[in-house]
Amino acid sequence: MTVSTHIPTRGASLMTLWREADGIQKAAALIGVTLVLLALFAPLIAPFDPLKQSLISRLRPPMGFERYKDGFFLGTDELGRDVLSRSLFGLRLTLGLALLGAIIGLLVGGTLGLVAGLRRGWAEDTIMGAVDLQIAVPFTLVALLILALFGSSLTVMICVLGIAGWEQYARIVRAEVRKITELPFIEAARASGGGPRYIALTHVLPNIVSPLVVQFTLSLSNIVILESTLSFLGLGVQPPTATLGSMVGYGRDYMPTAPWMVSVPAVLIILITFSVQILGDWLRDRADVRLRAR
Amino acid sequence: MTLYILRTLVKMVVTLFVIVTLVFFATRLSGSPLDTFLGEGLTPEDREAMIRYFGLEGSIWQQYVSYLRGLLEGNFGLSFLERRPVAQIVAERIGPSLQLLGSSLVLTICVAVPLGVIAALNRSSWVGSAVMALAFVGYAVPNFVIATFMVLLFAFTLNWLPVVGNGTALHFIMPTIAMSGVLIAALTRFTRNAMLDVLGQDFMRTARAKGLPETVVILKHGLRNAGVTVLSVLGLQIAGMAAAGNVVVEAIFSWPGIGELLVKAAIVRDYPVLQFGVITVSCAVVVINAVTDILYAVADPRIRMAKG
Amino acid sequence: MKTFLMTTAAALMASTTFAQSITVGAANVSDYLDPGRDHSNVGSQFYYNAFDTLIDRDHSKLEPEWVPALATEWAMVDDTTMEFKLREGVTFHNGEAMTADDVVFSLNRMYQASFAPYQVRAKDRLANFAEAVKIDDYTVQIKVHRAEPLWETLVSLQQVMIIPEEYTKALSGDPLVAEDGDYEAFSLAPVGTGPYAISEFTPGQKVVYTRFDDFWGDLAPLEQATVIRIPETASRITALKTGEADIVTNIAPDQLALINADANLKTEGSATALFHVMIMNVNHPNLTDPKIRQAMSYAIDRDLLNEALWLGKAVVPSTHTMEEMGALHMPELTTFEYDPEMARKLLAESAYDGEEIVFDAFPVYYTNGVLAAQAIIEMWAEVGINGKLNVTDKWTGNDPEMMARSWSNPMYFADPFGSFGVMWAPDGPSEGAGRFNTDDAYAEAWERFRFSKDVDARRAAYGELMERIKQDPPVLPLYRPFESWGMNKSINWKPQSGHIPYVLDFRAGAIALADS
Repeated sequence: MTVSTHIPTRGASLMTLWREADGIQKAAALIGVTLVLLALFAPLIAPFDPLKQSLISRLRPPMGFERYKDGFFLGTDELGRDVLSRSLFGLRLTLGLALLGAIIGLLVGGTLGLVAGLRRGWAEDTIMGAVDLQIAVPFTLVALLILALFGSSLTVMICVLGIAGWEQYARIVRAEVRKITELPFIEAARASGGGPRYIALTHVLPNIVSPLVVQFTLSLSNIVILESTLSFLGLGVQPPTATLGSMVGYGRDYMPTAPWMVSVPAVLIILITFSVQILGDWLRDRADVRLRAR
Repeated sequence: MTLYILRTLVKMVVTLFVIVTLVFFATRLSGSPLDTFLGEGLTPEDREAMIRYFGLEGSIWQQYVSYLRGLLEGNFGLSFLERRPVAQIVAERIGPSLQLLGSSLVLTICVAVPLGVIAALNRSSWVGSAVMALAFVGYAVPNFVIATFMVLLFAFTLNWLPVVGNGTALHFIMPTIAMSGVLIAALTRFTRNAMLDVLGQDFMRTARAKGLPETVVILKHGLRNAGVTVLSVLGLQIAGMAAAGNVVVEAIFSWPGIGELLVKAAIVRDYPVLQFGVITVSCAVVVINAVTDILYAVADPRIRMAKG
Repeated sequence: MKTFLMTTAAALMASTTFAQSITVGAANVSDYLDPGRDHSNVGSQFYYNAFDTLIDRDHSKLEPEWVPALATEWAMVDDTTMEFKLREGVTFHNGEAMTADDVVFSLNRMYQASFAPYQVRAKDRLANFAEAVKIDDYTVQIKVHRAEPLWETLVSLQQVMIIPEEYTKALSGDPLVAEDGDYEAFSLAPVGTGPYAISEFTPGQKVVYTRFDDFWGDLAPLEQATVIRIPETASRITALKTGEADIVTNIAPDQLALINADANLKTEGSATALFHVMIMNVNHPNLTDPKIRQAMSYAIDRDLLNEALWLGKAVVPSTHTMEEMGALHMPELTTFEYDPEMARKLLAESAYDGEEIVFDAFPVYYTNGVLAAQAIIEMWAEVGINGKLNVTDKWTGNDPEMMARSWSNPMYFADPFGSFGVMWAPDGPSEGAGRFNTDDAYAEAWERFRFSKDVDARRAAYGELMERIKQDPPVLPLYRPFESWGMNKSINWKPQSGHIPYVLDFRAGAIALADS
């Protein structure tokens, strides 16, 4: 039995992937790419400064409605700011925060899981105890309390999003490490004098990439929803900066009178989570197939 | 088996103790009730008086020890804001939250299990894909978006459904749907996967070979076996999500539940309410998890072996 | 007035079979109900229906017109003593008869407060009151330390509403002694003498008023009034539409058109007797130069804020004054104005060098609060002030790091002392919090303003105080917010100008239901 690295995309060019995908997956991929591009190039695309207020043209509706203000295609918000520009920058920040949060979660959880898997004894007990703890307390609640207690700044927000899913990574990594270290070739490596770090880097890490990628993708959408929920409750980033969630949150009072303020960011949130979910599931199915084939 | 239950219980107590400690120090280190609007317009002497009134004098360690002693004696303290026993306040609020959780669970099971079975049976046809796409939508739409749009449509515009509180059965419709979206999506997927696993098993083939009608095979053998997995997932996932995920739903529907109480308590630093509330919620989750674990172990001896 | 009462009576007769009860959807409900302890904007909604003071005023009138309430007559005995003849036959909601003992108990629990929350309230407005003394069962004297120009005003405060002595003392511990526990228990089961009894109270959630048939005055027009908490604005408006609420509170101006567009609904509103203010920390190292703070004020176009956020319905003051204050209403003073040129000039003369100035704001507490704060930051930027918004639930008003923040200065009673005075007295809450300084000259002017018998002397002294504020500003009143209530058209209710802010007055003459 030869074990090599099993990254789901390895050997499969993007073209092959595209050909294998069904309609919904293709749509999701297109949406995802579009959103990322919009976020990346927000400063170039956005017609206005997202923070620029105009108190005399508040709450103007989108193009095609009465009282539409020229150039403000998706209308203006309660301070006369351009909803399109704010949504684009909101998208950028929301995606950025989610990515950062997921990476922190991956690094923290992955490292702890690796340690727990390679070392036995108190280190493992402590880490797995922390994992149990994290599972025991509903995280949305924890996040709400942390933000309410320590105030809502960007830093606190990133930390909260970062610890949102670490326990999942830790469990996956530990389980995989356990499985792998019991395989004969690790024994061989150990026998030939490889230290735990050497074993971890050369043998374990390549083999757990696949489940981690899947988990990473799935957690992205959870983090987007968490961030949106917190921002909706006014516990997110500080105004005037906006994320998609905070735009929905601050705009909800205007729901019956100025629905465009809420609809645009809400649709963007749904598009993000929808496409990320489908892509994550797709990756998982592919990984499963490979794991079974192994 | 007894040993296994004992271990689970000990773990539970340790977990709760750690939670209590974390909450105690996190709340106190992050500020006092006098930093919130309760302290608005107080002069320094006033603040001294209020500190004594709230019983916040002494070092944080002394307070911690006396809080733990109180816990053991079953004395959880008085709310700073309302000046009545926190146990009473939390008890008032946990009922409505549980009602909403219950109705969401019922809706979730009634919708998700059939959907999951349909998706599994029609795995390769468009029906299956459609069901799964629907599940993804459910996952993708945050509950505050569902809730906000439902209020606009069914209450504001059509005047069909009430929006305030938990008075009648009608009051449950919108909050329940808002709460259930994500749960339905999750459970549909789990059911589908569990069914797929079961459908490929030997005993299913045997059942079919015995000439039983397909419906009976699926319902009696397939679903029953998939049910074990589905239920354990339900216990784990739902307890956590539902206990906290409803803060938004509670706010929008003025639902007198626990989520909103805790957020308010955190904002004004009403330590006793916050501590006891978090303890109650985590207790509920920990107990549900432990019970699920134990039941699972009872149902499936292999786990007992592996864990014990 | 008379026709109004007739309508009420007619309405009552017309629908004797139809229960006269309403539901109010409020943005917030108190966590406790004790008129003595409370001075919050949330709490002031709830007391007037259930409690009485010795002296009341005609709340339909802007100018104070004192009317007998639990006291039928009052007169000065000497410079520092006033004697009150109490109304006979007054009953508390629990059936106890009201006597001088209850009055003395209620007043002295504030005047000689031992319970910490009372001490706090007593000091800022009742410091001059020494004690209440029982003369006989229906006669009480109140003694002050120094001659008091504001007798009636300070006897008609919410904080000195009358509560039953025996009932309160018996709530916990020794039934004959007033303990802290008694007051805490009282705030959960409040009892007064007003036209409605509080028959149900769930802190933070629900208050139910039930008509009190043994009330000493005109019987309450409603059988029952239930106030429930509906925190979300959109949900409050929706509840009005679905009929779950008959009246809803705290409607922002942006939402008025929406309610008025419905044929069954209407809105009532008024420029509430309180100022949304910006406070500035005179002792913050970056703000010690008064010119910087003056510039921060001059830069803010309050009229534009009013036009944009309040549809022009708010009132922008030229100084810290309100028309409710009668002879002490001094709109001729110009303490605060918008002058961006002046702001730039002052900044140039000052040591200001682009340092970040943080503006703290509560997230939802004040209508339009976060919007106004964001607009202010933009206005600052126009003149070259580098502002940054910090939305937080924390009260930073006594944090030495605080630079500027939003707050409100309510009119606790109709006198400058009841609004500017409570907040900005020497050794008052602002100075105590370390963000405002006074000196001997300020204290001397304050004394003349507070205690002069002669109205003109008080006016002159107040003018001097305002000039001090102008030269070294710790505060900028932004506007009197226009607060609105949405309601069903069948309800005849509106906020009355003689009340302190936010009072939900459902007494006879204040509310009527059309036949439905």
